Order: sequence, then C-alpha cells, then structure tokens
Amino acid sequence: MNRVELHHGAATDVGLVREVNEDAFLADPPVFVVADGMGGHDRGDIASAYAVEELARLAHGDYGLEEGTAAVDAALQAAQDRLLAYDEEQRAAGAADSFAAGTTVVLALLVQSPDGPHWLLANVGDSRIYRFTEGELEQVSVDHSLVQELVDSGRITPDAAAVHPSRNVVTRALGGAAMPGAVSGAADYYLLPLAAAERLLLCSDGVSGMVDDVTIASTLARYDDPRDAADALVAAAVAAGGHDNATAVVVDVVGLANEDPYDSHAQRLSLEQKLGALP
Amino acid sequence: MSDAWSYRSGAWFAVFGTEAAIVLPETQKDQVVGLWALVDGGAGFDEVLDGLLASGLSRIPGFVLVSNGEGPTRFLLRGTGVVATVTAAGETVTVDGGASHTWVERSLDDVTALSIGLPAGEHETGAADVDFPIVTGLVRVGRIDRPAAAPVAEPAADMVAEPVAEPAEEPVMEPVMEPVMEPVMEPPAAEMAPMVGGAHLAAEEPAPLDEPSPLDDRASAVTEAAYLDDGPATEVMETLDETPAEEPESAEEPLAEAPQEPAPDGWVTPWDSPAPPPVGGDAPTTPPVESLDEPATPAVPAPAFPPLGGATEVAPPGWVPPPPPGVPAPEAPDAPPLPIGSWEPVGGVAPPPGPGVEHDGFTVAGAGEPPAPLVQPVPGTPAAPPVTQPVAKLLVSDGQSIIVDRAVLIGRAPEARRFTSTEQPVLVTVPSRLHEISSTHVEVRPGTGADLGTAVVTDMGSTNGTVLVQPGLGPEDLKPGIAVQLIPGATINLGDGITIQVTRP
Repeated sequence: MNRVELHHGAATDVGLVREVNEDAFLADPPVFVVADGMGGHDRGDIASAYAVEELARLAHGDYGLEEGTAAVDAALQAAQDRLLAYDEEQRAAGAADSFAAGTTVVLALLVQSPDGPHWLLANVGDSRIYRFTEGELEQVSVDHSLVQELVDSGRITPDAAAVHPSRNVVTRALGGAAMPGAVSGAADYYLLPLAAAERLLLCSDGVSGMVDDVTIASTLARYDDPRDAADALVAAAVAAGGHDNATAVVVDVVGLANEDPYDSHAQRLSLEQKLGALP
Repeated sequence: MSDAWSYRSGAWFAVFGTEAAIVLPETQKDQVVGLWALVDGGAGFDEVLDGLLASGLSRIPGFVLVSNGEGPTRFLLRGTGVVATVTAAGETVTVDGGASHTWVERSLDDVTALSIGLPAGEHETGAADVDFPIVTGLVRVGRIDRPAAAPVAEPAADMVAEPVAEPAEEPVMEPVMEPVMEPVMEPPAAEMAPMVGGAHLAAEEPAPLDEPSPLDDRASAVTEAAYLDDGPATEVMETLDETPAEEPESAEEPLAEAPQEPAPDGWVTPWDSPAPPPVGGDAPTTPPVESLDEPATPAVPAPAFPPLGGATEVAPPGWVPPPPPGVPAPEAPDAPPLPIGSWEPVGGVAPPPGPGVEHDGFTVAGAGEPPAPLVQPVPGTPAAPPVTQPVAKLLVSDGQSIIVDRAVLIGRAPEARRFTSTEQPVLVTVPSRLHEISSTHVEVRPGTGADLGTAVVTDMGSTNGTVLVQPGLGPEDLKPGIAVQLIPGATINLGDGITIQVTRP
C-alpha cells in the first residue's frame, strides 16, 4: 500500500449578511467534507452537522475502492435517515407539515486500489469540488442545480448560469426526500488517481458563488500552505460581498511523487519551446 | 461487365473509382474531397460506406453508392428523386431511393445495364443531354450510366471541329466550373469528349487543390482537439499573469477582519458567530433579474430575501421547474408570473405543499430532475444491486484481463466521472512510456438498447485517438464520445504498444 501524506487547511465564515453559519466541515484524514445546510436556523445547521457527524465515522480508516464507496453511501444514508427522523420529531413537536431540514454535501475520501491511491469524491447539491493541478483549476463535481440542468440541456451558457435568477435552486440535497418537489439525496461519485489532483478544494456555494474560477485559481496558486489558501478563499468570498456562509477545505497531496504530468501539457510546452514562445 | 461509366452533367458530385462509385448532392461538397481520396485510393464498397456515414446519415439528404469491382453489383440509394434503373439477367427494374427512411439496398448478379437518375439541382439550367465517358475521377453529374452510353455524335463532332479552341462555350462547362478538382481521366477515355472537361479545368483552375479542403479542416480539427486539454490551463495561466496586481488586497485585507479564527482540524458547526450589523437593510444580494433565455422563469422583481436580523423568513421567489430533459418545453413564456411562492406542476404532479426550502435564506431546493433511484422508498432497505451479466472479456497486451460487467475505464491514469454507488466503474491502468495514451483513454461498458448483451467501446476524447479493428472490417478510428458495438475478436489499439483483445466472457 502506498503511503500518502496529506496536508490540509480549512476555513469558514458566516459572511456579511447571514445571521447563522449553517455550513459545517470536516478535515480529518482520510476524509474531508463540506456541508451547506438549508432551511434557516435550527434546520440547516442541524442538517449540515448531521451529515458531517455521520461522515466523521470514516476518519482514521483504510478503505479499498469498493468498500470506500459503500462506506460513504452508508454514511450519507445514515445522515438522510437522521434528517427524516428529525423532521418527524419537529413536526410532532408542533412544527409545520412542510418542515424539512436539508443540506448539500461534498466529500473526498482517500481510498486504496490495486493501481494505487485514489480520491473518491462525492457530491449532493451545489457545493463543489475543484482540483488544482499544475496550475490548472478544474471543477470536478457537477452541481445538482437547476441552472446546471439548463446548461446541460444547452438552454443557457455556463456564463449565464453564474448570474441566472434561479441559480440558487438545488435539485438534490440530503434530507431532500421530504422536501417540496421531492429532491433526491442520491450522490454522484468521482474517482481520481491521487497524482491527478495535487490540490483539492471543497467549498460551499458561499465561496464558488461569490468568487469566480479565475480568482479561485490565482488564490490557490498564491498560497503554498493549504491553511493559508483556505483562509484566503473564504476571505475573498467575504470581501466580494459575503452574501452567504463561506467554507473552504483545501487538501494537498504531498509525499507522492508526480511523475505523470499531462501528456498534452508536456507536448504543448515542448512545442512552444520549439517555436520560441518560451525560453 | 465493363467498369466504364458515362455521365451527364448536373449539380451532383460523382466520384468514380476502381472499386466503387459514389454520388452526393451538391450540399455535401465538404465530404466529397475526403471521399474522393478514399475512392481514388481503391477503397471498396464497405469502406466508402463507412467513410460516408462517419459524419452521420441524417445530414446526408441523398447519395448513391455502387460497387464497381468483381462479383454481384451492390448499390445503395437514398433520397427522393434518386432513381436507379437496372437491367439484370434480362429483367429491368426501377429502384427509388426515396422509398426508405434510411436507404434502399440491392445486390444483383449479371447486371448488364445500370442507369441512375438524380434530381436537378436548384440552380441548374437545362442540362445538356450529352453523355461523357469516364473511368475514374470526380465530376458533377445529373445522371450516370454503366456501361457507358454511346457517345453522342454531336459533342464528338464539336471536339473534332474545334479541339480545345473554345472550351468555355461548351454547355457542359457550367457544372464543371465549380472549383472542384479535375477528373482523373484514364487513357481509354483520352480521345473522348471528357477530355474537354479535363483540359478546360486544367487551364482555368490550375490549383483548386491548394484551397483549404475539408481534409485540411479535419486536420486542424484534430490539432484543436489535441489542444482541448490545455484550453482551461491557458486561460487560467494567462489570467494569472494579469490579475495578481489587484488580487492581494481583496484576498488579504478581509482576512484581518475575519471574525473567526480558522478552525482547527476536526469539524465545527459555528452557529455562535454574531451577524455583522445589517448594511443598509436592503437585500444586497439581489441577483441580476436578467432572465436570459429561460422562458419558464417568470419575471420576478428583485427577490425578497429574509430581513437581516429578523426572525421571519420570506418565501423565495416562485420558479417553474423545467420540463424533464428530452420533452419539448411547453411554450408558455407569456403565462402570467406566478405569485411568490407558488409552484407550477410539471407533468400532472400535484403542487408541493409549500415554497422551496430555504438554503441559508438564499438557495432553495426544488425538483429539476426525476428523483434518482438511489433514494429508497423505505429508509434502511438495501438498494438492489444492478443485474449485469458479463458481456465480454478484455485481454490487455500487458497481461491484464478484465470482465466487462460494468463500465471499464482504461488509460494511463484513468478517472471516473459521475457514477452512482450502485454502478461503480472499474479503472484499468495501462503503461504508457511514450505518453501516447491519455489519462482516461477509452471506456468499455455493457451496451444498452440495441447493443444489449454486447460490449460497447467509447473513446473518451483521447489525445491520440483509438483504432478499432473488428473481425471482417477495416481499421476504424473511434470518434470521441461515440459508442461502437464490439464483436468478439475485435482489437482496440490505444497506441504505445497497448492493444486490447475483446473475447467472449
């Protein structure tokens, strides 16, 4: 089994507008989580806390690829069950029939496969996972949101999505089964070889919605220390208006030699060198 | 029968080769050059058909493909007005290419005469009823015949009278004026009328081949594709160079004022941080009301957000769930805006009990897609595993052997995207010393629909492409993202010496 060393940092901020921070996060190798609660005080913060608590059970374990996926699935299901039970409890205690706590979740779990260590990534809702490798920022997760569906169906452009009036509508969330419109809590999974993700960013939409990808990339590039990078990203989101709770978890893979850079990247550099564009 | 053809001028393109002849309408000009290269290179009937259909059948309104070599005469017809009159074994039949949605195919022995008529083009003036013999080459035609129709006396006389003096006067020149390429004339036809076309073209358009041809386009498309991976990188890196001057302030200044210390390891749910005093009291988060082109969203004035510091929450603006993908959107852009907090059911679904649930008072949850099967109706019930039979076995040339009963991703460092916990993919890493193999090069998975029970392979947008050789067929370059059914015995070549044999499971 490959030994992998991870460095990580995390930051959260209530923002300039919200009263309560309903985001929750976890950074405890080999699992990293950001959850963004929905539903106001006593709903969102409870929901995101439940999700993080359940996923925290994965900490300090060793997982193969399949058992990792099963463990994450079980943890998300456990959080879902607890949320539905919580809703019942609240309704029994006199809350409205429509009472429903919910949360989005993104997570990264280090798993081992015969081909080496991998990141098992998962998302429910519109919190995001980015990878930052060799100076390139790439959004890995695909938002479960109305605007993402409009983008996927070709009805609006990704640029238009960033300012679309309905960009705040998520189509999946934990606890979503009890929500209007029956949003589902199913997670999408992603599997990346560790070498293909030097740095991971998990963030709530309070970061990705306030700060554009270019700024995220430049911020991730500027700070070598993941703790500084997480702080700077959250600070940038607050500086940009802080409309929402902002949370960022940054994880660096260190102690894993990256001997496998992108071939196209290498080819292009060598071409540019040949043409004299680079010294 | 003789391989010699004759044609009458018209709007269609005809390419005559030693093994096959193909006719395409004038709208398919971009394809003609590529196909000419194929046909002229001696490609057979099937190979030309593959080349023709590579870009999809639907965009080709009509075509004719005829085998030219040994054996029975095979021909395919597509398009209204594309009519073949065939005399085989003494009987004459007429076949109409408009009779089928796809194409009409016939294979006949002992064909003694074949005549294919084509509908006139839009701008075609009265076509001359003059038959020109041709063996191989590319010409514009309105009708083709095999064996070659007897040369009409008149043009021959013309030719004799004024050899090459005034070729521009020839009525047949009109279609040939198009800067295509000169027909390649074989010696037997040299003294015949087509020589006019050839000579004329050579004189008037000496270098039509220098024009950017579809082949060049294709080459540049390949180059572009090769750079696609780098696109985002370039953008990001370029911008990086430009932005730093301004960035540090916005990024670092608030850091000092941040009300909270960065959390240590372990999770926290900070709910005790006081909200800063409201700024202005108005909703500062008002998103642009630009509705762009999403017709289903009623024009809502600035959405009301929860009053800061107040206990009451205001329902979010109403929105209309989008129609399910694939179903044409009901065109109701003029419908009156829904009242705040109301829902419009889609597909007869009863309206949900209340407004969307708030998400920090900002994001709402709403249905945008059918609930995924993962959500179990009864919590706690284990999800039924998907029933998949092994459909193929892959033998990789580095010694690995993989059963295909789920998606298999193969590459130098393969990644899997957007899968669910019940359909986990298999990642297969193959060595690539020369980096010819992309990180995620191909996917092989059990087919669905018409491909059920077999495996299908898809190139995942690899830099250097994938070559598939199926038993009985020539090598085929996989198109990125297009799944191709695999036959046992097929070989998938990833480059860098890595090939994958497909066998029965």
